[in-house]
Amino acid sequence: MSKMSIETKLRVTEIQRFCMHDGPGVRTTVFLKGCPLRCAWCHNPEAQMAEPELLLNAARCIGCLVCVSVCPSGAQAFAPVRTVDRDTCRACGACSEACPTAALEICGREYTADELADVIERDRAFYGERGGVTLSGGEPLLQGEGTLALLRECRERGIPTAVETCGFADPSVIEAAVPHVDLFLWDVKDTDDVRHKRYTGVSCARIIENLRRADSLGAKTRLRCILVKGVNTDAAHYRALAELAVSLAGCEGVEFIPYHAYGGSKATLLGLPDNGNAAWIPEKEDVTAARAAVASHGIKVY
Amino acid sequence: MKSSFDFYAPNGGVRPVRLCEDTRRFAYDSLNRRYGLDTLEVMCVDMDGEKNFESLSPLEKYDLCIRAIAERAPIRICEGERISGAATLGRAISHVVPADFGGEAVFGSISHLTTDFESVLRFGVNDIKRRALEALELHRGTEREAFARSCVSCLESFGIWHGRYLDALRGRPEYAKNYENLCRVPFEPPRNFYEAVQSLWFTFAFIRLCGNWPGIGRIDCLLGDYLKNDLSDGRLTLDEAREILAHFFIKGCEWINGTVVGSGDAQHYQNIVLAGVDENGEEITNEVTYLVLDILEELGISDFPTTVRVNRCTDERLLRRVAEVMRYGGGILAVYGEDTVLDALVKSGYPLREARKFANDGCWEVQIPGKTFFIYSPFDSLHILQEKTLQGYDGTVSFADFEELYQKYVSDLHATVEKIFLRRLSQFEEGASANGWKWKAQTPCTVVSLFEQGCIEKGLSYLEGGPIYNLHSPHIGGLADTVNSLYAIKRLVFDEKKLTLGELLEILKNNWGGAEPWRQYVLNRYTYYGNDSDEVDLLAARLLSDFADSCASFNGKCGYTFPAGVSTFGRQLEWSSKRAATPSGRRVGEVLAANCSPTPGSDRAGATAIIRSYCRADHTKLLSGAALDIRLLPSSVEGEDGLEALIALIRGFVELGGFFMQPDVADASLLREAQEHPENYTTLSVRVSGWNARFVTLDRRWQDMIIEQNEH
Repeated sequence: MSKMSIETKLRVTEIQRFCMHDGPGVRTTVFLKGCPLRCAWCHNPEAQMAEPELLLNAARCIGCLVCVSVCPSGAQAFAPVRTVDRDTCRACGACSEACPTAALEICGREYTADELADVIERDRAFYGERGGVTLSGGEPLLQGEGTLALLRECRERGIPTAVETCGFADPSVIEAAVPHVDLFLWDVKDTDDVRHKRYTGVSCARIIENLRRADSLGAKTRLRCILVKGVNTDAAHYRALAELAVSLAGCEGVEFIPYHAYGGSKATLLGLPDNGNAAWIPEKEDVTAARAAVASHGIKVY
Repeated sequence: MKSSFDFYAPNGGVRPVRLCEDTRRFAYDSLNRRYGLDTLEVMCVDMDGEKNFESLSPLEKYDLCIRAIAERAPIRICEGERISGAATLGRAISHVVPADFGGEAVFGSISHLTTDFESVLRFGVNDIKRRALEALELHRGTEREAFARSCVSCLESFGIWHGRYLDALRGRPEYAKNYENLCRVPFEPPRNFYEAVQSLWFTFAFIRLCGNWPGIGRIDCLLGDYLKNDLSDGRLTLDEAREILAHFFIKGCEWINGTVVGSGDAQHYQNIVLAGVDENGEEITNEVTYLVLDILEELGISDFPTTVRVNRCTDERLLRRVAEVMRYGGGILAVYGEDTVLDALVKSGYPLREARKFANDGCWEVQIPGKTFFIYSPFDSLHILQEKTLQGYDGTVSFADFEELYQKYVSDLHATVEKIFLRRLSQFEEGASANGWKWKAQTPCTVVSLFEQGCIEKGLSYLEGGPIYNLHSPHIGGLADTVNSLYAIKRLVFDEKKLTLGELLEILKNNWGGAEPWRQYVLNRYTYYGNDSDEVDLLAARLLSDFADSCASFNGKCGYTFPAGVSTFGRQLEWSSKRAATPSGRRVGEVLAANCSPTPGSDRAGATAIIRSYCRADHTKLLSGAALDIRLLPSSVEGEDGLEALIALIRGFVELGGFFMQPDVADASLLREAQEHPENYTTLSVRVSGWNARFVTLDRRWQDMIIEQNEH
């Protein structure tokens, strides 16, 4: 098994250390690339596509034109504005290799599970008893083989594991992951299936089904819900969420994450329009109401 | 509890109220300059009227100055104070003996030491007097007699000053307790906690009144048993003890006067060290430790820079309290990795039991209190690289490979350390050999010598080799920028061969002008010190190790030892305009790194990565300490998660072999607001380096530097 873990590659958008909000304690969060959902409010749009992509941060570009000289597809454009022609760009990385300012970067570097575990292990001294690694994304379970190898590797090294999942994955991967995961941060973006389909592109039925399956296998879970004002900030959703939490044997509680608009500017790095929507940002009172509604069912709110 | 007095918290939090309203008022008045302005009313005593003053020997002059101070310094009893004694002469704030002749201070004074308060408490000042009289008999008729006489004279002066306070307090019912306590201490040993606090303060105040700036040392170790006995006998409650101890801290603010002094107004080195093990290796943390933390938390007093000795077994309760106080901001609390410090001391030859007594000098340089002379010589390692090894970018230098360049640099570094050693040799009389060295007579400093073990018995002052340990610490500055420069040269010139060294130096000579793509390349394509990146961090570790070896090579060659240390304090500010462009992409005038911290802006992987980079060095070789500054945003330490984060950082730092870390919680926007509206932020404290300062008393350049460090 460990032999295989050396060979399985994972595609990573970012590794963040000293994270305090991705599970208990101090954590290293590994963002894996590729996601089956297309949430309208996506905070990490660079993690949606499974393939490597070229990011252009135009503000950093000093116009040295070195990228033009190395690009095999002629995808670099400087007029009328600085852009990358996404139709011709093959994300080969020649330009990002040459770019002195890191205005051009390839998102989706590949690591073996072992290499990632080495990075994760660097902060072992800070994890204490509760901290550890959190796999996020994107959807970490989408990279089934590699993700499982990484989870196993971390466990072998004695590092506690958490997985932040949208729950929309092959049931067999979920089943295989459960024994290696100390805590699932399970996104339940909406309990209203019509809205779920409309805003994420998929039904929540499979997500809930997987959640129950994981629960029946002994998974410890924390339900996470992004609060998007005017979309899912209603009492029926809170009630359904609380009832779901109550019905699970291994659910430790519910965590609300207020929508913010920062992800929007990230989209521009991919040449997409800024999708940030200020109207979606919940008021403090919305967050308080959501927390109180769920807590009234005797559920711990994080 | 409600209170009419608010104490500002940089994190926007509300500080708890535990102290009574009168104590809080005393604190508020003190922090708002009431007694500091009073201290400026009389600057010094005037020696012009002394007959034949000029014809006296330096020691005789000194003794007369101290006597005049004892006899004439204003007596100050603050409204409602529970302990008495005050350093009331303004010139002492400028680090001189506050006695003038012909309009000028006659003598400088002493700092960077923690005096022997343990002996004062255990045996009383009368015991020091007994020792001094014995020494006078011993040295009578020898050249040491004059110093022995001076010791007796200064103790008499201390008695005179003490008597004046008794006179001032006698018959005033509101100060009956102060009077009663002072009737016993500090001349006799205290019998209870209250007397012990008074004894400690009164002795400290006298030393300070005479212009010296000693540290306090391990206050919980000094006072813990007194409190424990009082509590178990039911003589005192914890709440009462907190009030008494709070007055100690409040009186320590008596020099706050709001005068802008450039690097801040709160750096009189009255350092305090908390927690850690005793001589036998038992943890000493006691109720006094927690009372000190309570007081710092409630009043936000930053004038006693306080460092907590944390080891691998430190109790979770203590760490939690430390984190809770830390996150109010102000940089009041710092941390020692105790295991590492002890290893460093033992490696340097201190017996383990002795090593366990360590406190510090006034910043973070460790020393055995009451037994140590300490001085340091700072230098900029980047200056050596630019001007010596790379010949000021004018000459033609060439190296076959990186290793040759590195070795040349280490030999240039060694030459600087040697210069520091040679300068120190001038303190010995001619012809002094390695083992038979003989100290030269120095500026008189009898008052601190009384409280340094070894001085009285040897008949040698603090500056003449009297103390048991005599340290001269070379302090390397510019570490991160030097390492980053070397690393960029290694990569660009020797590994990737993108430019020749000559081409690179030509570009640097032009301050990167016309070479912006190259500058961007070195800025963005290389990972520098502070990101937990092996190659550059190991280079830093290697350089520090070579520096430590260079210092150690001079040990045993004179009466000093040469512990290596890493610091810039605030010097990077003045260096920044003088240093040439660096190979790591910095242009002239741009920010340089502080202490052993990364260059602002080059650290991109967060606090844990910074700590890991720092901890790659063997800090047991750097006895004088390498300080790591960690700046945290208030939002990152909020709530239960935030506490956990701070505790994790401290535990990780200790686990990985860190020596000294000073975290501060502040955000740049708040500091900028304080810069614009100082009137609203009079008590906002920030960690400058080994000390704290009220932000508004820093001059603009220092303020900007701190804002810049917080922005990145």
